[in-house]
Amino acid sequence: MKADVLVIGGGIQGCATAYHLARRGTSVILLEKDYTGRHASGVNAGGVRLLGRDVAEVPLSKASMEMWQTLDEELDADTGFRRNSVINIAVDEGDMATLRAREGKMQAAGYTHERIIDRAELLDRLPHVNPDCVGGATSDLDGYAIPYKATSAFRLAAERHGAQVVDGEELITLRRVGQSWLVQGARQRYEANSVVNCAGAWADRVAMMIGDNVPLSHAAPMLMITARMPHFARPVVGAVSRQLSFKQFENGTVLIGGGAKGFADRSNNRTRLDYAKLANAARITAEFFPIMARASINRMWAGLEAYMPDNLPVIGAAENADRAFHAFGFSAHGFQMGPVTGQIMADLVLGEQNRFDLTPFRINRYDRKVL
Amino acid sequence: MQAFDCAIVGAGPAGMSAAIELANAGARVAVLDRGQKPGGQIYRSVSESPLPDANVLGPDYTAGAELLTAFSRADITHFAGADAWHLGDDGRILFSHLGETCELHCREMLVCPGAMERPMPIPGWTLPGVMTAGAAQVMLKSDAMVSDGAVFAGSGPLLYLIVAQYLRLGVPVAALVDTTPRQNYLNAALMLPRALRRTELLKKGLTLLAEIKRSGIPVYRFAEGLKVLGEENATGLQFTTKGQTHEIAADTVFLHQGVQPNLNMTRAMDLEHRWNLKQLCWQVVTDPFGQTSVPHVSAAGDGAGIFGADGALITGRLAALNILHRLGRLTLAERDRQAAPDLAQITAMAPFRAFIDRLYRPTDALRLPQELSTLVCRCEEQTLADLRAGFDRGARDPNALKSLTRCGMGPCQGRQCGHMVAGLLSEWRDERPETIGYYRLRSPQRLLTLKELSRYQAASAPAQTEAAQ
Repeated sequence: MKADVLVIGGGIQGCATAYHLARRGTSVILLEKDYTGRHASGVNAGGVRLLGRDVAEVPLSKASMEMWQTLDEELDADTGFRRNSVINIAVDEGDMATLRAREGKMQAAGYTHERIIDRAELLDRLPHVNPDCVGGATSDLDGYAIPYKATSAFRLAAERHGAQVVDGEELITLRRVGQSWLVQGARQRYEANSVVNCAGAWADRVAMMIGDNVPLSHAAPMLMITARMPHFARPVVGAVSRQLSFKQFENGTVLIGGGAKGFADRSNNRTRLDYAKLANAARITAEFFPIMARASINRMWAGLEAYMPDNLPVIGAAENADRAFHAFGFSAHGFQMGPVTGQIMADLVLGEQNRFDLTPFRINRYDRKVL
Repeated sequence: MQAFDCAIVGAGPAGMSAAIELANAGARVAVLDRGQKPGGQIYRSVSESPLPDANVLGPDYTAGAELLTAFSRADITHFAGADAWHLGDDGRILFSHLGETCELHCREMLVCPGAMERPMPIPGWTLPGVMTAGAAQVMLKSDAMVSDGAVFAGSGPLLYLIVAQYLRLGVPVAALVDTTPRQNYLNAALMLPRALRRTELLKKGLTLLAEIKRSGIPVYRFAEGLKVLGEENATGLQFTTKGQTHEIAADTVFLHQGVQPNLNMTRAMDLEHRWNLKQLCWQVVTDPFGQTSVPHVSAAGDGAGIFGADGALITGRLAALNILHRLGRLTLAERDRQAAPDLAQITAMAPFRAFIDRLYRPTDALRLPQELSTLVCRCEEQTLADLRAGFDRGARDPNALKSLTRCGMGPCQGRQCGHMVAGLLSEWRDERPETIGYYRLRSPQRLLTLKELSRYQAASAPAQTEAAQ
């Protein structure tokens, strides 16, 4: 099969990239070794969050957040996006000081989307929070979406614009021959002028085939979800200094994260759970929200996610090859960035003006550093 | 943390017979079972039946008392009311016991998760008042409760057994609606000569059927197009037979079309599974001794492949012999010598099992939902139409379909819908069930309160010497 662009990886970054390229009339083939949305993009916690982002990421994240607000119409699909806001809870004055320092830094950079709230507003918006909490920070544009639905919405929209998505096709070799990229997949051969590496937890392998060596690691963040509960929390909940993270969906189920990691077995496509760490997440959740003590946990799982040492993604052109591009290593906060990343990658591939400073995300930022 | 040579999950016939064998050979054995009393589903409450005369339940049931006696006499650590929620292939088991998560470690693990009834997704199958024949049995065995004037519909030995038990107790039965297709009798007839070597089993079945016939209750055969009537509750059953449509009024409809292995444990452990073409269900892959794709994990009883209670006693014993060999307590030659009669017995039982499987093989029309409005996933209320829409939106894998539609995400963890979804995808993709696969399942294997989880502290693994004692 032949196309202008070959996208490797059917997560949200790959599907959004394929979508933005296809809608501009570029022929695209997307290869996914399992099925689209099988890994981190389909099983993550669904947070669509601008709050608390690394300053380097804020311009992209802000642009993406605007895209989320109208994404359902754009993709003609239900991504499950709900703009219910996110609140990071402060437990003590130390946390409040952290928030004020952050506020100063953000305002200096010209950002005003994060707002500190006092105890009264916190209790008003989260009536079930432990009353010992003293305040927090919020971003009102934020919310959540349903990961698999959103990823699959990008895929379907890409296909409607003519992109070809090949599920169950594993990349065996990738070579630059003359002006072409040649791919030998497990089932077929492919040829394209450009290649985009969106391979998530497997992206370092693809980068290596392209010629770029990158210090990517992978891990398995764990999640658990409860059976339906009475509605008690509309905003997505996090905490300034604790591993607390949950959201209640419209159906009443509560998804608990917190960043605890299980065991990642990348070569076997598997993860294992660490129940002691999940127990800790349960303790913290019940401590902040006593109502959660009566919750029943229905399922627990983990996804395979890629991390860069600075927890910032790689977004940009390849260092050691022409016509190759990377978008990976989102370090457990890439779901929200999917819409804008797709747009940026399309701009890069098509050689169009890109409005963002991608310097913090360049792939060679660790060159000559001993890690 | 307590350490055992072998931990057995499930105290039905397979788990009990394995435990007895292991304990009598001197192994340290733990048995975890959800029930307060051992016995599993088949011997539920056999030691203290609430019925004035448990003999109405038949000799197969009362025979369980002997097994229970042997079990209680053996040196077995029995955790009653223990709900295993995580079985690790590192030998660690987490289980809820009296509201706390406890942990034990074992060198060998034997899972005996038993069978569950195959769902029968006819229109109206989820209405209040519709239950399974197994549920009728549970009510009878545990609480001596019956339902007057019920309709029994479907096929298979368990269905005829519960009808006969009702009749022996003098409970009025509205009708038996038998869905065994005519073609099945013809196909099974070819297997009859070999099955006839087990005349006593065949006789038992025929006696049961004759008992029902003699009672004079209406029996309809070759029924098709079943539909439970009613809006809010079941009010009756509609079906067609011999070109005529019948409606039978009843508040309770008991459905049954055989059993299938309860997959949640073996699937959550990520053991290898295969599709059983004859029984139309998934089952864990094992060797003749029940050893699975993870060598120190074995499976026995109906949870490892449907073979009935008699078969479960034998497969449990075989698994125990192999485990004793793996523990270094039996030489290979000794294992094989002791296993020979049981292995021969299994071979002898196979033709009759094959005959029963063929005779009562459910039709696709009853195995898979036919009407778009029929619920497939009861927990998340997903209909056939919802699943088809998800499939049309590109979700071609059971897990993708689950992510998109929530089918299988509810508290039953796909126990009810798993086989149906596999069957539907197999039909829609025109591919074999092996290619389709199954839900990726995880612990916890049942709802776990956040409070209980929050109190759990991981124990350190037992020292090797302790485990090896």
